[in-house]
Amino acid sequence: MIARRPRGLRQHLIVAGFLAPALILLGIFVVAPVVWALGLSVTDWRLTGPSALHPKIVGLANYGRLLASDDFRAAFFRTGVFVIFSAIIGQFVFGLASALALHRRDVRLKALWGAAILMPLVVPETVAAFAWSSMLESSDQGTVNRVIGLAGVAPVAWLQDNAMLSIIVVNIWRGIAFAMILFSAALEGVPQEVNEAATVDGASPRQLLTKITLPLIKPAIVLYMLLTTIGTVTVFGLIYFLTRGGPGGDTTTLAIFVYERAFKFFEIGLGSAASVIMLGFVLGIGLIYVRLLRAQV
Amino acid sequence: MAVRTGAAPAAVAVTPTHHRHHRSRALPLVYLFLAGLAIFCVVPFLWILLASVDPHAGVHLQIPASVDLSSYVRFLTDPMFSRYILNSMIMAGGSTVLVILTSALAGYALSRFTFRGRRVLMFGILMTRIVPVSATIAPLYLIVQYLKLVDTYQGMIVVLAAQQLPLAIWLMKGFFDTVPGELEEAAWVDGASRLVSAFRIVLPLAAPGVGAVALFAFIESWGDFLTPLILITSSDKTPISIGLFQAFSYRNQVDWGLLTAISVVYMVPTIILYLLVRRYLIKATVVGALQGAG
Repeated sequence: MIARRPRGLRQHLIVAGFLAPALILLGIFVVAPVVWALGLSVTDWRLTGPSALHPKIVGLANYGRLLASDDFRAAFFRTGVFVIFSAIIGQFVFGLASALALHRRDVRLKALWGAAILMPLVVPETVAAFAWSSMLESSDQGTVNRVIGLAGVAPVAWLQDNAMLSIIVVNIWRGIAFAMILFSAALEGVPQEVNEAATVDGASPRQLLTKITLPLIKPAIVLYMLLTTIGTVTVFGLIYFLTRGGPGGDTTTLAIFVYERAFKFFEIGLGSAASVIMLGFVLGIGLIYVRLLRAQV
Repeated sequence: MAVRTGAAPAAVAVTPTHHRHHRSRALPLVYLFLAGLAIFCVVPFLWILLASVDPHAGVHLQIPASVDLSSYVRFLTDPMFSRYILNSMIMAGGSTVLVILTSALAGYALSRFTFRGRRVLMFGILMTRIVPVSATIAPLYLIVQYLKLVDTYQGMIVVLAAQQLPLAIWLMKGFFDTVPGELEEAAWVDGASRLVSAFRIVLPLAAPGVGAVALFAFIESWGDFLTPLILITSSDKTPISIGLFQAFSYRNQVDWGLLTAISVVYMVPTIILYLLVRRYLIKATVVGALQGAG
């Protein structure tokens, strides 16, 4: 064990001094905004107008307004749809399938497949969104429309008429690699002997997957579900670049809703109440995640 | 607690004597799946690459009738876009330096000393990683405004650095844990102080890890979109992420060749850096899951 207790004032000062710069930065720019969001959410603070100068405490009125607002409830619902279809289902299925495929011994060119799947994740999100603006272009020359045209389907104005479906597909595309990385690591930990023994005992491939492999990587699946939910609830740039929350609010998820309240409508109080609800959700999942990790280490 | 710096236990018993997979009939289907998925993943970039060298580039994927680098020349001679790239370099570079300095110090303290509340602190830091910027932008903006740092490089640098710190501290601590304490103790015997030994002995030995932390911090800051969207207002401090967004969204006439060339210039560094940090990817993805906090 390398770590030891600090001895004497000098060493205590070293520890404090070494930790201070990082903790100050985290405190001011990460922790304080969370605490302040809580405070702002009970005021009628706006960036403009009379309440910009003299904000009043309004208690839980913002939360009442939010929960009564159709816009907020719709944004909440859309976020759920976005998370469930793009992350919980889409990325999970494709990520697990690709991890299983790349785990096979008889598959060649693993580095090539892995690199291709990794590409969408590594580029900046604005480039990813920009690339999809061409893919989803609404004329019959748009790439996706040309592909569905091969099957005789008429061109679709993706970002106008099917905006939610579009951003779900784009987000699946971007996040497959994250699931693949996690599940590949988990599969490495499954002893090959287990699979062999099961196969010798006559297990079918399906049984092998559902009765052996999946239960063995269950911790990784739980971990993935927690992390991907956190990551997907908070997706902003990808959606904002492609649709800016539109058309007609069709892709306004919670992240977009919070941004618009504060920086488009300048309603800091109301926006902060939405922030707090979002934070409560994300940090609640985060606590489960940290508890799981603590149980493991 | 020893932490492996490689990517997971990747080389678990790959025995050549292993008998063939019994499901090899399924192999063509596996290849079909992988090929389909690979095409799905790569095709969007095909347009960017082809349009960037196509003098008649448009919004659609097309094979260029002729190929030249005129779009790249337009980018290099466009004072605005070269400024955007420079701004991104300053912001991402500055925050990376700040992240390395502060996370190295904190990581060293967490690695070499036990103290009351250390575990709670470690997991507290992990929780700060989960705080989404998209949920706290309004108070973040007000705090930065209070500090008079709105629309400044310094403001962007400190905010971006703070966002990268939780992961960086955890990774740093893990890398320092792998450097044996005996080496350092030998230096103390020779009269070196804590600080000197930390920077002369531990830092160089943990260099690959420190490099990985730097690259992750740079990649994240380089790609960031939301932070400059709220903190930067003047065009001479706009980073390329916002520049690309504005050129795409707010101009009547979109120059597809120019924007795709910029996209290539913008994404190539992250792709190269990702290749360098690939073996640390799992660690960074599941920070905490593969390394001890003890």
